Amino acid sequence: MAGKAIWKGFINFGDVNLPVKLHTAIREERIQFHLLHRRDRVKLRQQMICAYEDEPVPVEAQVKGFEVEDGKYVIVDPAELEQADPESSRLVEVHEFVKTGQIDTIFLERVYCLEPDINIKGYNTLVRALKEMDVAGICTWAMRKRSYLGALQASGKILRLTTLRHADEVIAAKSLELEKIPLSEKELKIGAELINQLTVPFQPHKFENEHQKKLQMLIDKKARGEKVAVLRPRQLKPTASDKLLQALEASLKRVA
Amino acid sequence: MTEQGIWNGTISFSLVAIPVHLVKAVDSGRVSFRMLHGKDYSPLHRRMFCPKEEKAVPNDEIIRGYEIAPDKYILITDEELASVSPERSRTIEIIEFIDMKEVDPIYFDHPYYLIPSKGGEKAYRLLTEVMRRTNKAGIAKFVLGEREYLVAVYSTRGTLALITLHYSEEILPDEDISPKEDLVDAGEKNRLEINIRKMMADFNPEKYTDRRRKKIMDILRKKIKQTAPVETPHAEGEEAEGPADLLAALKESMLKVKKNR
Amino acid sequence: MSRKAVGIAGRRLALSNLEKDLYPSHGFTKAHILDYYQRVARFILPHLKDRALTFKRYPEGVDKDFFFEKRCPSHRPSWVPTAEVGRDDAEKMTVCLVNDLETLIWTQNLASVELHVPLARAGSPETPDSMVFDLDPGHPADILDCTRVALILRDLLSELRLASCVKTSGKKGLHVYVPLNREETTFEDTKKFSKAVAVIMQKNYPELVTAKMAKEFRKARVFINWSQNDSSKTMVCIYSLRAREKPVVSFPLSWKELENSAGAGDPERLQVMPAEAISRAEKQGDLFQELLTKKQRLPYL
Repeated sequence: MAGKAIWKGFINFGDVNLPVKLHTAIREERIQFHLLHRRDRVKLRQQMICAYEDEPVPVEAQVKGFEVEDGKYVIVDPAELEQADPESSRLVEVHEFVKTGQIDTIFLERVYCLEPDINIKGYNTLVRALKEMDVAGICTWAMRKRSYLGALQASGKILRLTTLRHADEVIAAKSLELEKIPLSEKELKIGAELINQLTVPFQPHKFENEHQKKLQMLIDKKARGEKVAVLRPRQLKPTASDKLLQALEASLKRVA
Repeated sequence: MTEQGIWNGTISFSLVAIPVHLVKAVDSGRVSFRMLHGKDYSPLHRRMFCPKEEKAVPNDEIIRGYEIAPDKYILITDEELASVSPERSRTIEIIEFIDMKEVDPIYFDHPYYLIPSKGGEKAYRLLTEVMRRTNKAGIAKFVLGEREYLVAVYSTRGTLALITLHYSEEILPDEDISPKEDLVDAGEKNRLEINIRKMMADFNPEKYTDRRRKKIMDILRKKIKQTAPVETPHAEGEEAEGPADLLAALKESMLKVKKNR
Repeated sequence: MSRKAVGIAGRRLALSNLEKDLYPSHGFTKAHILDYYQRVARFILPHLKDRALTFKRYPEGVDKDFFFEKRCPSHRPSWVPTAEVGRDDAEKMTVCLVNDLETLIWTQNLASVELHVPLARAGSPETPDSMVFDLDPGHPADILDCTRVALILRDLLSELRLASCVKTSGKKGLHVYVPLNREETTFEDTKKFSKAVAVIMQKNYPELVTAKMAKEFRKARVFINWSQNDSSKTMVCIYSLRAREKPVVSFPLSWKELENSAGAGDPERLQVMPAEAISRAEKQGDLFQELLTKKQRLPYL
C-alpha cells in the first residue's frame, strides 16, 4: 500500500488548478544496529560535546555559528534564518514543460506519487496529455518550510512528482576531463559484442537484498551462541592494458 | 575512510577487472553552520555519549550491537560484517547489462561517479566507450558498510556513473491511490495540450537556483558586514597549567637553558 | 579575458584570467602565482598531502575581499582528491586534498593564494602529526623578537629531547614545529604540552613572551599561540604564498640561519620571496622533511 498522504496541494499552470495529495513512494527497511560502549554494552547516544571543556552541552546552551574565518564566527539566530523560509503556499507551480528524455538521471532525487483529490476526470486528463506528449512539467513548490524544484510526470495511470537537485549540487561529469586513451576498433568491437551477449531485459523483481538475509542469519547464529567464520574480502587483480584484448576475447568465448 | 573517494575496489564484467574508486556526483548545497557553546563560543563536536558514565566515548570503545530483547544485544564486529558477503565488499561485479531506458526512474536512488584507479585507465575507457556505443547499463550488487546495494553502472559524458537502485520490495504499490475511473475529458485534453505546447522549453536546471540558499547567503553577507565575528576562546593560562611531572621537567629544563645562554 | 587550456598528468584544465594582477603593488599576476606553485610543487605537495584544504580565495587580488571556504566546491573536476570529514551539523563535509600537481594548479586557478591545512590528516582528524608554536609579535615587537623566542624554545624542547624546526609565517611571525608522527598522539596531548611550555616561557621571559590571547597582554611581546593545536584549526602550509602587499612565502629556516639573523637587525631579511624560495629550496632540499617522518613522543604526559 502507498504511504499515507503527507501533503495536499494544487498543480497550477495556465488556468489549470488540480487538487492532489502527495504520497511517498519508497519504504526502506534495514536491519537497525545500535552503537554500544564496548566494556559494559550501554547504548550510546549522540551528544554535542564542548571541544574545550569536554563535557556535554544541552540544546538550550548551543548557538549557531557561521564560520567567516578560521575560528571566527558570526552568530546567527534561527529566527533570522526563518526569513529565508519560503512563504507557505499550496501551489505546485509548473513553469515550463520539457521532453522527459532531457532530464539527466543525475538530477532525479525523490519520487512522490500523487493521488487525485476530488477532480478525478481532470487528473486523468492531465495524465493522458503528459503521457501522449512525453513531457514533464518543471515546477516549484514549498512544503514543510522548504522550497522544492521538481518534475511532474505521468506514470501508468498516475502522476508522479520527482524532486530535482539544484544545478549547483550536481558535480558535472564534463568537468572530469578523464584521460583520453586510444582504443583499437577491435577492442571496441569485441567489447560491444560481449555487452550485447550479456544483455537481458531489466527485471527488478529478481534482485533480492540477499545480504540483508545473510546478515539476519549471522545475527541469529550469534544469538544461539554459535561461532561465525570470518571471511576476508578478496581484491581482484586488475586486467593489464596489454592483456585487455585477450581478456575480452576469452570472455566472449565464455559467453558465446 | 579511504584515502580517496568513498570506496575503493574493482569493477568487473566477465573476465575484465578494473580498479576504480567511487566519488560523489552530488553535493548538498546547504549552507553549513557550526554549533558553538553559547557562553564562550567554544566549538561543539558531535560525539557518541555514554549516559551511564556521562562522557563522550572514543571510537575504539564503540561496538555495533543488534537488539534481540530490551537492552540485550548481539555484538557484530566490522570483520563479521565484511564477511557476510566478502565477494561483494571489494568488487562491483556486473552480472548483466540492460537498456537504461527500461528502468523506471522510481528505482533510482543516489548517483556517484566511478573514477579509474592506477592501472585501470585503459579498461575503464573501453567499458565507458563500449557502454556509450551500445547504450547499455551494467547491473551489479556491492556492499558498502552495513548495506548491500543494487546498482546500475552507465556511461555519461566520457565517465562511468553508478546509481544505486531501490529493491523492488521497497517500492510501494500505487494501486490504492490510482484513480478509480478512467474518464478523460477530450475537449479539456485538447486545451491542456495547447497550453503545454505554449510552455515547452529545453531543460535548463541552471535557471532554477536554490532560492533558499541564496536568501540565507544574503542574510549572512549582510550580517557579516554589520557585526563583528566572535572568536572561539583560547582557555587562558590561569587554570591548570599541565601535569605536575611535565611542569617539573619544564622548570628544570628551563633552568639549564637559561644557564647555557 | 585570457583562457588557456593546459594538460597536466593527462588531465585537462582551463586556466583563466592569467594576467590578473593579484598583488597589484608588485605586478605579481596569477600567471606568476601558477608558475611559482608549479615550481615549488615537489616541495609543498608532501606537506599538503591528505590534509583538508581550507580555501582562502582572492579572486580580485590580495588587497580585496577574500572567500573563506572549507567545503570543496561542487564545481570541482572529479579527479580532485577529496575526503569526507565529520562536521558537527550532522552532515559530512567534502573537503579537497591537494595530493597532486593538477589539484594544486586547480586551487590556484581559483586564486586560493594561501594554502591552509590542519595539523592532522583527513583520515585521522584527531591525530596531529606535529605540535606547533605560532609565534606572533605584538607591535612594536617584530620577527627578530620572534627569533629570540624561537631559539629559547628550541633549546627548551631539546632539553626534553624533542627536535623542532622553524619556518617564517610569511607575515610577521615564526612557526616552530615539533614532529610527532605517532598514532597515539591526540590534540589534547599537544594542547596540554604546548600550553605548559608557553606558560613557562612567559614566566621566565615576562618582558618578551606572553601565553595570553588578549590584546592587552600582547603589546610589545611575542604571543606564543599554543591554541593552534586543535583539530578545528589550520596553519598556513610551508611554501605557501601569503596574501599581503608583497608576495612572501612561508619558508623553512635552518636554526643556524636563525641564530645569525637574531642579532642582525633587519627584519625584512627573513622575508623570502618566490624566486628566492625556489632557488633556495632547490639548493638545500626540503628543510621540513623531518616534520613528516620523524617520530617523537611527548614526555611527561
